[in-house]
Amino acid sequence: MAVRSGGFAGKVLRVDLSTGKIGTENTLERYAAMLGGAGIGYRVLWDEVPAGTGPFDPANKLVFAAGVLVGTSVPCNGRTTVTTIFPTCWPKPLVGSGHMGGHFAATLKYAGYDALIVEGKADRPVWLMIRDARVEIRDAGHLWGSGIRRTTLEISQEMGADCVVAAIGQAGENQAPMGMVVNSVSHSAGGVGGVMGAKNLKAVAVQGSGAVRIAGDKGEWERLIKFHLSILGGNNQHVVPSFPTPEAEYYNPASRWIGQPGKHWGAAKPPVAITGNIHDPNRIAYRTNSAAYFLGDEAWKYTIRGNGCTACPIRCHTMLKVPSVTAKYGIPDTAQNTCVALQFGRLFFERLAGRKGGEAAIEACMVGMHLADDLGLWSNYGQLQRDLRKLYEGGYLKDRLGAKEYASIPWDKYENADPAFLLDLIPRIANRQGELGEVLSRGTGAIFDHWSIPEAQWAEDRTTTYWKMGHPKHHANEDDGQCGVIINTQYNRDAQCHSHTNFVRNGLPLEVQKKLAVAIWGSPDALDAPGDYTPANVHKAKRAKWSLLRKELHDALGVCNWMGPWAASPLRERGYAGDDSLESKFLSLATGQVMDREALDRAGERIFTLHRALTIRDMGQVNMRAKHDIVPPWIFEDTSGAAPFTKGTIRMDPADIARAMDLFYAVMGWDKDTGAPGKARYAALGLADVGETLAAAKLTPEEGK
Amino acid sequence: MHTIRNSSSKWIEQAAKASGFETELTRRGFLKLSVCAISGLAMLGLGEAFGENAPLVILDNAKGCILADPTRCVGCQRCELACTEFNDGRAQPSLARIKIARAVNFGLTGPTGGDMHGDWGDGLLLQGVCRQCPHPVPCATACPQNAIKVDPQTGARVVDPAVCVGCRLCQRACPWGMLSFDEEAGVATKCFLCHGSPKCVEACPAAALRYVPWRDLTRDGSSGRPALSVVAPEKAKACLDCHLPAGTNAAK
Repeated sequence: MAVRSGGFAGKVLRVDLSTGKIGTENTLERYAAMLGGAGIGYRVLWDEVPAGTGPFDPANKLVFAAGVLVGTSVPCNGRTTVTTIFPTCWPKPLVGSGHMGGHFAATLKYAGYDALIVEGKADRPVWLMIRDARVEIRDAGHLWGSGIRRTTLEISQEMGADCVVAAIGQAGENQAPMGMVVNSVSHSAGGVGGVMGAKNLKAVAVQGSGAVRIAGDKGEWERLIKFHLSILGGNNQHVVPSFPTPEAEYYNPASRWIGQPGKHWGAAKPPVAITGNIHDPNRIAYRTNSAAYFLGDEAWKYTIRGNGCTACPIRCHTMLKVPSVTAKYGIPDTAQNTCVALQFGRLFFERLAGRKGGEAAIEACMVGMHLADDLGLWSNYGQLQRDLRKLYEGGYLKDRLGAKEYASIPWDKYENADPAFLLDLIPRIANRQGELGEVLSRGTGAIFDHWSIPEAQWAEDRTTTYWKMGHPKHHANEDDGQCGVIINTQYNRDAQCHSHTNFVRNGLPLEVQKKLAVAIWGSPDALDAPGDYTPANVHKAKRAKWSLLRKELHDALGVCNWMGPWAASPLRERGYAGDDSLESKFLSLATGQVMDREALDRAGERIFTLHRALTIRDMGQVNMRAKHDIVPPWIFEDTSGAAPFTKGTIRMDPADIARAMDLFYAVMGWDKDTGAPGKARYAALGLADVGETLAAAKLTPEEGK
Repeated sequence: MHTIRNSSSKWIEQAAKASGFETELTRRGFLKLSVCAISGLAMLGLGEAFGENAPLVILDNAKGCILADPTRCVGCQRCELACTEFNDGRAQPSLARIKIARAVNFGLTGPTGGDMHGDWGDGLLLQGVCRQCPHPVPCATACPQNAIKVDPQTGARVVDPAVCVGCRLCQRACPWGMLSFDEEAGVATKCFLCHGSPKCVEACPAAALRYVPWRDLTRDGSSGRPALSVVAPEKAKACLDCHLPAGTNAAK
């Protein structure tokens, strides 16, 4: 009998929508070195999608990949990475990934697949049915034009109530670059909805009855799971509560661990009071309430419960019930989401964007969530909303939109912060209706292209939080100085990396963090307090590398980089240390093949480096330093004129950032002048073929200079 | 048929009490208990006194049961995963003996578009838990192999995989849809209360599950699900020892 490996489901499903061919590949034979997630996605794009392929070309591929630990009870797994040529990347689409939680990833594993590769283009609208080994391309003519809610309902009627549907709405059907795919009500992957639409793929629905095996000793596995639970904090691995309590040595008002005993899930019937010890593993789900964190304390009364991904005890998708919105706006009174997507509606309004609380803000959130998650429209980490505000407030729209279209938009409702404004605006964008809808549906880059607005007008304005390539910052210098800046230079969309911020913002006092930093990165100088920065050093560069590698690793394992890594813990008896080897311990036990931390980090580096190679190949440009790894001018300014490295400013110094990049390229083993890996570096990471291909195209530093 | 040796009314009263039927059956009915029925009373230490191959009809009540609070359930399925990972070494919700996945999306009424529960409805998540039913235990009664027995430690109704032949009649018999089927082993499986320390209860991050002294949860609400009840002839015959057919003179 063949030895059955654990962790991996074992197969990758490949569906060609052009020919209708459905087949499978052995995961370990083809993709073992890439683990899963974006690793498989990057490899498929490298091997099979030639440079210059457009996002909506049939030749582009869409790789939905779970990860090795997905489907198990490892806390905070359940992530799907969707890798493709990313349509909002500007001025030229390049490799990128959208990420979604929910129940899609685990169900795909139970169905027997580590990943799904979709290629080609169907000649009519279709949806893909996956029921364990049975896979069929079914007609979606009756679903085309429907929102995600109705699509999910009808597919569930056809397939069964327990299927997980990942569907696009009107935005995706219309091939809007800002379209997204959504599963399990509200778990969305941005930017990839239009790619599905271009393939005529309305939805992928999965049912799985199989198992993800744990190859190692199940007792040991159970102990490790319990240990992991013991070192969990609240959302984003904030390890101290936001409130003082005799049960914790420290507290920090900025912490996302806000579930204070005495608070209530007020919309539960009857309300559920938070009680008991805050460290109780049977009460982890009460620590986080994203709605109360982002919308203010009054959101507790609208809270039905926490919700979230398969196997995650954190439950960052807070489920809200706001009865007034049904009568006022004709939408369901129940909605759920986390973080920026929770605030999708509120952020469109200048008057509501920066404010917590208030009935209008909550209602705007409800309207926004409903429309975004039904029409399948992405926010680009809030850039869509900031763009609309800047375009309107800055007078751009008045100058550029035709008078008739301008007058057709209910700006009075915008001015009055009336959530009904969204009922007009959001469908315009999803349906690509009119000039405004068309431009916003394409992402920020379209604003520059279509209206000939110089990119600098965004990049110089820190209120846009615009970074580069059509995308905003994502935990940059406001959180983590040079480390945040380095991380934000590396991707072709917003950085999506949380390894760094989850540590610096974990709520522990700086001296405790520094003690932990010595153990992990070799020096207390690896980090500063946010807004109190010191000059660049090699330890920060090492931490930036660690952060990026762990992010890629988490995507490959299917664990949540919005929660991990678990470098710190709430445990005083451990000196607040987490466990930097946790991922490798889990992987080793799940697969039955021991892989230590260093080896696993090398796998993360392999995956990250392949992303770099794809970017270099598709840009046709080896000089990443000058052409890709750029920062917006606003990071070098401070409105009050404070100098860099003075307390209270996030202003960076250009020469210091240049040095930070030097140090980063050095710790990556990349060429300092171009910021590109050489042939030897690719080879050392098991990517010799990639290095040779790039060298032949003169896209390695040694060949390309 | 075996004869009842030293049968005493005390034992029978005890059996009636254990099965929860003391008010529903006449004492006369219990005096009609045959060896077939009594042999189910292993918990009372009586079983060895009677025939070994006799069908099981009356099972003693469980000592505890899992109580689920739907208003606290957060739909993470950690209970399902703890059930299968820690007991079976694999993560497999379809094998779990507590059932969440089926109710996550729409609740038990399914995608009707009406008053739905679950993530697409009002958010309420109705966990599926084994009631550890009192007599007559639908899954055990339906089993033609007598493979569903009482765990001596907890009183849980458990599937003996060595006896189960995989006919799935127990799955069809459970009004609550709580039997699982292990496709790899080819046998049914059900909640066995983890020998008194349920993994699911320990795993719940929202304190939505508790392990409490047994009570008859089958009397709460409706199962909402028609059950297929097929009783093997030998068992049906045993049932007649207590439950006399209509028109029969009980005082024979």
